Amino acid sequence: MQRSTIFVITALLLTRPPLDATHAFVHVPYSTLTEAGVASEPLVIVVNRSNPVDDVSFSELRKIFLGTRSHWANGRRITLVMREPGEPERTAILRDVCGLNEDQLKNHFLHGLFTGEILVSPKILSSPTGVRKFIFNVPGAIGYLRIGDVDPSVKVLRIDELLPEDKGYRLHVQAELVNGN
Amino acid sequence: MTSRRALSRMPFVDRLLLDASRHNAVLLLLVICCGIAVVGAFIIRDLRAANAEAQEIYTGSVNGLQRIGELQYEAQETRRSTLYALTTTDSNLQVEYADQSRAADRRVTDGIAEYRNEAKSTEGLSLADRLNHDWITYLGVRDEVLASILEGSTQEAVNLDLKGGVPAFERVRRDLNEVKRLYGEDASRREDDLAAASRRSSYKLVGIFSFTFLLSSAAGWAIQRSRMLSRMQLAHLQMEFVASVSHELRTPLAVIRSAADNLADGLIRDKDAMRKYGAILQHQSRGMSDLVDQILLFASTEDRTNRYVLQPVSVQRIIDSVVADTESVLRGAGFTLEMRIEPNLPDVMGDLGGISQCLQNLVGNAVKYGGDDRHITLQASASNSGLGSPAELRISVSDQGIGIDSSEIPFIFDPFYRSPRVHAAQIHGTGLGLSLAKRIAESMGGRLTVVSQLSVGSTFTLHLQFAKGEDMEMAGAMARQSRLSRT
Repeated sequence: MQRSTIFVITALLLTRPPLDATHAFVHVPYSTLTEAGVASEPLVIVVNRSNPVDDVSFSELRKIFLGTRSHWANGRRITLVMREPGEPERTAILRDVCGLNEDQLKNHFLHGLFTGEILVSPKILSSPTGVRKFIFNVPGAIGYLRIGDVDPSVKVLRIDELLPEDKGYRLHVQAELVNGN
Repeated sequence: MTSRRALSRMPFVDRLLLDASRHNAVLLLLVICCGIAVVGAFIIRDLRAANAEAQEIYTGSVNGLQRIGELQYEAQETRRSTLYALTTTDSNLQVEYADQSRAADRRVTDGIAEYRNEAKSTEGLSLADRLNHDWITYLGVRDEVLASILEGSTQEAVNLDLKGGVPAFERVRRDLNEVKRLYGEDASRREDDLAAASRRSSYKLVGIFSFTFLLSSAAGWAIQRSRMLSRMQLAHLQMEFVASVSHELRTPLAVIRSAADNLADGLIRDKDAMRKYGAILQHQSRGMSDLVDQILLFASTEDRTNRYVLQPVSVQRIIDSVVADTESVLRGAGFTLEMRIEPNLPDVMGDLGGISQCLQNLVGNAVKYGGDDRHITLQASASNSGLGSPAELRISVSDQGIGIDSSEIPFIFDPFYRSPRVHAAQIHGTGLGLSLAKRIAESMGGRLTVVSQLSVGSTFTLHLQFAKGEDMEMAGAMARQSRLSRT
């Protein structure tokens, strides 16, 4: 337990990774300019529609994504769904929620599974569609999607009572490249 | 006339057939055609019904069985895809299998709904509801199993499937087999129905063919019978005609022969007697000549078309011609002729010779049956059409003679018809006069009518159309052309 706390503190101290300069930025719905002048769009946290939870605090979200919280309030097991390493959404979550980089996250989960503090490792899916379908099929699943990838098969959670369109919403990802722009 | 009396003594069927024969047996042929049309309609209707029934069996049973086969396959696919997800730890693949399972289960759900909509029997509806319930139960377990597989809890997924999935799916499988059995039973029942319908159609067709055959036979017999009756009637008429003509000829011939014998034997020597015998011979030979003329005229008017050339004729010319032609007859019989001719009558369309002949016959008839009063009235007048212009010319010949019984009036224009009263009174004649007069009138587009009262007298009226403006112009043109051709 102490070792995991050290991991978290270490992660918080780490500098945030620089933005990928190769990304072109486009105008998409909900996109905004960051302080650095980079276009971004909200990244939403999605759960199964049967999940009674509507709102989650940022700190709870962090516990969930670090695997330290394993069950929902109704007793359902939490299944964490992640994109593949290198994907901007995953990078944003690691950076903004977990405060870890890939290696740190990998070590964190290896350590947690080894010590039994974490029950299951995150499920890795290669596309937003896969994420949606997984969450649709698993009542306790939680994952993240660009707001443009959300459809009615999943439910968007408020974070600290804020929706993506609300001012002060904290999760954003770089806007995607669109052909010709 | 004897033929009329013979006709009235005929059986009803023969009279009917004789009437039919007058229409050239077309009516009987029409009956056959109707029979054939009815048979055709029945055959077509039965064929259509059998075809529709067969199609219904195919769509209702064969297609139904095929759909149930597809349902069974899709249900298996739902379960198979779910279990395939157990074979991998790759979440992407597991999601794909879950997708396949859900797509298959939607097809099964739709198929069950379709089956329920089409179910007609109570058993079918009940089975559809049970199948739907069992399928939903299985899908609930399947969702739990899928969730466990995707969460990575393989053992839990297997346990769930063995505990809930297998029995639920077994119930679904049994339900589907039950549906299949119902479809099979339905198909068998429909097949039996079709066979029964086919048998009924066969019986119907045999019945209809038999009926048509009988109808055709009856129609054929009726045609033959009607022809035979027509020929018999014709033969009868010919015999009556020959008998009548023979009788009419024999009487004057006997008188002539007797007179000739007396003259040849030298029994007649004084001048007065010789003159009297000459007058007898003259009268009898003239009568024979008139009879032969009438027979020839009757034969020539058999074809009533285009016999006369119609042209405008003045009424006065007609009256003059009739008076001139009947003067000797009237004088010889001691009759007086009273004429009532309306002045300024327009010309009529007709043939002068034909009109004159027709009226001569009427006057001759009046002389023959005019009785002791010996007075004949010839009247010509225009009938009013009610539109301001005269409609037709009416020339009437009236007598105050023996009259005609109302029961005989329908027959007096038949050829050779002679009243029994006339026979009894020994008034000679051929029975052709009125028939000829009527034919002549009709040949000119006119008609002949009679009003008579027994022991009071008779009035025969010839109706003729007045000549119109275009008729007059055409007649004038033809006359000019005739004069030119002569020059």
